[in-house]
Amino acid sequence: MRTQKLIFLIMITSILAIAKNSEIRVKELYSPNYPIVTFRVMIETGSMNDPKGKEGLNALTILMLAQGGTKELTYREIQEKLYPWAARINYQFDKEVSVIIGEVHRDHVDKFYKIFSDLILNPRFDEQDFKRNKDLLLNYIRATIRSGNDEELGKQALVWFIYEDHPYHSPEFGTVQGLSNITLEDVKDFYKKYFTQGNIVFGIAGGYPKSLIGKIKKDFAKLPKGKPEPVQLPEPKKINGLEFLLIEKETRSTAISFGFPIAINRSHKDFYALMVANSYFGEHRTFNGILMQKIRGQRGLNYGDYSYIEHFVQDGGSTFPVPNIPRRQQYFSVWIRPVENKNRHFVLRQAIRELEILVKNGLSKEDFESTREFLLNYSKLWVQTLNRRLGYMMDSDWYGIEYFVDKVQKELRNLTVEDVNNAIRKYLNFENIKIVAVTKDAQSFMQDLISNKPSPITYVSPVSQSILDEDKIIQEYKLNARAENFKIIPVEEVFEK
Amino acid sequence: MKKITLMLMLLLSNLLFSQGKIFPFKINKVVLENGLTVLSVPFDSPGIIAYYTVVRAGSRNEVEPGKTGFAHFFEHMMFRGTEKYSEQVYNDILKRLGADSNAFTSADWTAYHIVASSDALETIIDIESDRFMNLKYTEEQFKTEAGAILGEYNKSASSPFLALYEKLQDLAFTTHTYKHTTIGFLKDILDMPNQYDYSLQFFDRYYRPENCAIVVVGDFDQRKLIDLIKKYYGKWKRGNFKPEIPVEPPQTEEKIGHIAWKGKTLPYLMIGYRIPEFSTKNVERAAIDFVAELLFSRTAPLYQKLVIEKQWVDFIQGDAPDRRDPFLFIITTRIKREDLIDSVKNEIFKAIEELKVKPVSKERLEKVKSYMRYSFAMSLDNPNSVAYIVGNYFQLTGDPESVNEIYSLYEKVTPQDIMKAVQKYFTKENRTIVTLTEEKK
Repeated sequence: MRTQKLIFLIMITSILAIAKNSEIRVKELYSPNYPIVTFRVMIETGSMNDPKGKEGLNALTILMLAQGGTKELTYREIQEKLYPWAARINYQFDKEVSVIIGEVHRDHVDKFYKIFSDLILNPRFDEQDFKRNKDLLLNYIRATIRSGNDEELGKQALVWFIYEDHPYHSPEFGTVQGLSNITLEDVKDFYKKYFTQGNIVFGIAGGYPKSLIGKIKKDFAKLPKGKPEPVQLPEPKKINGLEFLLIEKETRSTAISFGFPIAINRSHKDFYALMVANSYFGEHRTFNGILMQKIRGQRGLNYGDYSYIEHFVQDGGSTFPVPNIPRRQQYFSVWIRPVENKNRHFVLRQAIRELEILVKNGLSKEDFESTREFLLNYSKLWVQTLNRRLGYMMDSDWYGIEYFVDKVQKELRNLTVEDVNNAIRKYLNFENIKIVAVTKDAQSFMQDLISNKPSPITYVSPVSQSILDEDKIIQEYKLNARAENFKIIPVEEVFEK
Repeated sequence: MKKITLMLMLLLSNLLFSQGKIFPFKINKVVLENGLTVLSVPFDSPGIIAYYTVVRAGSRNEVEPGKTGFAHFFEHMMFRGTEKYSEQVYNDILKRLGADSNAFTSADWTAYHIVASSDALETIIDIESDRFMNLKYTEEQFKTEAGAILGEYNKSASSPFLALYEKLQDLAFTTHTYKHTTIGFLKDILDMPNQYDYSLQFFDRYYRPENCAIVVVGDFDQRKLIDLIKKYYGKWKRGNFKPEIPVEPPQTEEKIGHIAWKGKTLPYLMIGYRIPEFSTKNVERAAIDFVAELLFSRTAPLYQKLVIEKQWVDFIQGDAPDRRDPFLFIITTRIKREDLIDSVKNEIFKAIEELKVKPVSKERLEKVKSYMRYSFAMSLDNPNSVAYIVGNYFQLTGDPESVNEIYSLYEKVTPQDIMKAVQKYFTKENRTIVTLTEEKK
């Protein structure tokens, strides 16, 4: 692999500049021949900053900027202007940071920048936009996630469950009651408090005119100086055995997610050892992982099974994560895609048993070598566009590390199989886990789990004896499920408050 | 080569039609003796290539009753190995390469795609050619994979969209295979484990060189690429199967369907109008793509009214997917209250009627054309997207130059063309309406 060529993709210079009299940090990724210009404005504020009872305030504020108007132009007028350029304004909100993203062909970059920067610096805060954006978030909870996507519901509910009594508990998109309580005045106050010079990084990539950088620094210096006090994060609540949240819903299959907090993120050396272990166990949307091979490949029990060592949101139709969702505290998780209800007990046993095997046995030397080789090559594909590369650069700054993709290369090359297996033993476990299942007849699932009764499965065709032998062990695998560790809630209560 | 690609990027940056071509890169086309088409595009992605194998078969080819979903099922079976490279070995090779690899199936085509290091080119050609020529799987493997397909159906089944598309297509078509969605009818999916023999037949029919193309985009040497393709795919035997896709008779009356959804939901409305197949010659069909913009883009008066002003719906969209045979212009919206369904429907019909009698202004038309050009240009930012575009136009017409032809045709569309197309196709007897609301207890 021509590493150097890959690293010096086109003609790239990157600079983190702080202007005189301006606290705005500008992250540049200049590539003069690249015709698309991307802006990524990161605000170091997220759902952890939502006041109690107003969950969703950060999300709604971001929407009021990215999907609202400016002092000069209404939302409609902005759409009219952007349309012939096919320019886009997108947004992301997470626990700790939020991002407003603009993309435009460089033919129109100056005019686009004026609108884009005005949205952030001179927002309109129109009452009608407020109503529409609030509806959008409420309907996302009520109609999209609760009603139309069991997998996403399970994954989001796991984070909600893992971080009880913690600033990360408030969902990124808010809660029904929280959103209902928010007024437009709340949004304006939130904006005033958090949109300050010290709290914003302006990322820019592509073939933009260099003069734009000075303008950005000057314009954004109009924001108040300073940076709000960061939210202190306590240790997440200790998990006591297997803790279950069963979401009762009329559904033809069961979506399962489980996990627990881990004490490290990208800034810690052990993260890279754990990255190898995780890739071996459940690399996202590949057949490399043990979970995928055993649950789907050998047994055809569902569509996919993956694991993660940090919060993961897939970027559109690709297999790669979106950048700019950094978190100080991360969690390990397993995503079991929907299984037939009759197999739910078996598959949960199987996944936790595989985790036990990983924790107890670790990786073999061969598995370690092949997984490391995979990641050394695969990680170079994470940044195929300048937009993504810029996002990764900004995340690296946020974590206070060198460029993440380079760091993966460096750290992985220095690893040994012992490092990986030590990290597994140190950070992963199979006994203290929070488990979420979206399922029908949750009560009977609970009884099955508590009773630890055998959960044999049947196949439509003969499978190998070795699989049948393993199934006998799995179907009796003991899960420490205690009645007092179960919560069953109807789907209507999820993200209600 | 570096110099050439830099020049290409500059060309892209000005976004002018040079000789009527919107696609700013040269598409090299070589056809092997066995009929296999090789399409390659040098692209400035140092050290990276995208490699697509395009099969011109999708759920459209599922002509026999009881076999819906088979093209997609077959896509899964392609990962089950050969004598030379078993499933495990195939996966191990891709893993070592650190490749991003997957596949997808749609109504008209199936694509197998890999993004990897340029250095891996020969390895990729070796393993890909091998499975396309020598796929081998047991009945047991076949049955096990059927479970994964059911799992895939299950993961989508919680979404109202699957139910809406199933109902819409089932009602709108009586004869053509567009009657079913790509994943297939649930009853056929449940019967898949019993269809081993049919799967072999499907492979034999469609996985033939004359029905496929290899698309390579990125950093590679053209001469070396063609030599390797000839070396590895040269022995692939030509087939002779010609599918007879049933022709759908014209629709003569409005069709209406309803879904009572178990569980909480907001109401959905889906409307499909029968329209002609993708064409680079038919200006009426090109005009229909403008209807999507004029009615449903964020600047469209209908969108503004329903989403921004009245706020009756939280989203509305409409478009005409490119298909090889006549399909549908599909409008989808989610409505905030059940009592608003009729009002929303009437606003949509009113906007359509207006397009029939009131020509769109020249200024508005130019804005739409500008949007289409820039939107296309902005999609060309990585080798995978470029390979997808080349593969898609190849599967539609057999010639990737169609991408340039269709955008040239868009340039010629007039306000009168749009009026005529709407008058002809957006009629009551040509439409199917499906609503989805919460089941009444």
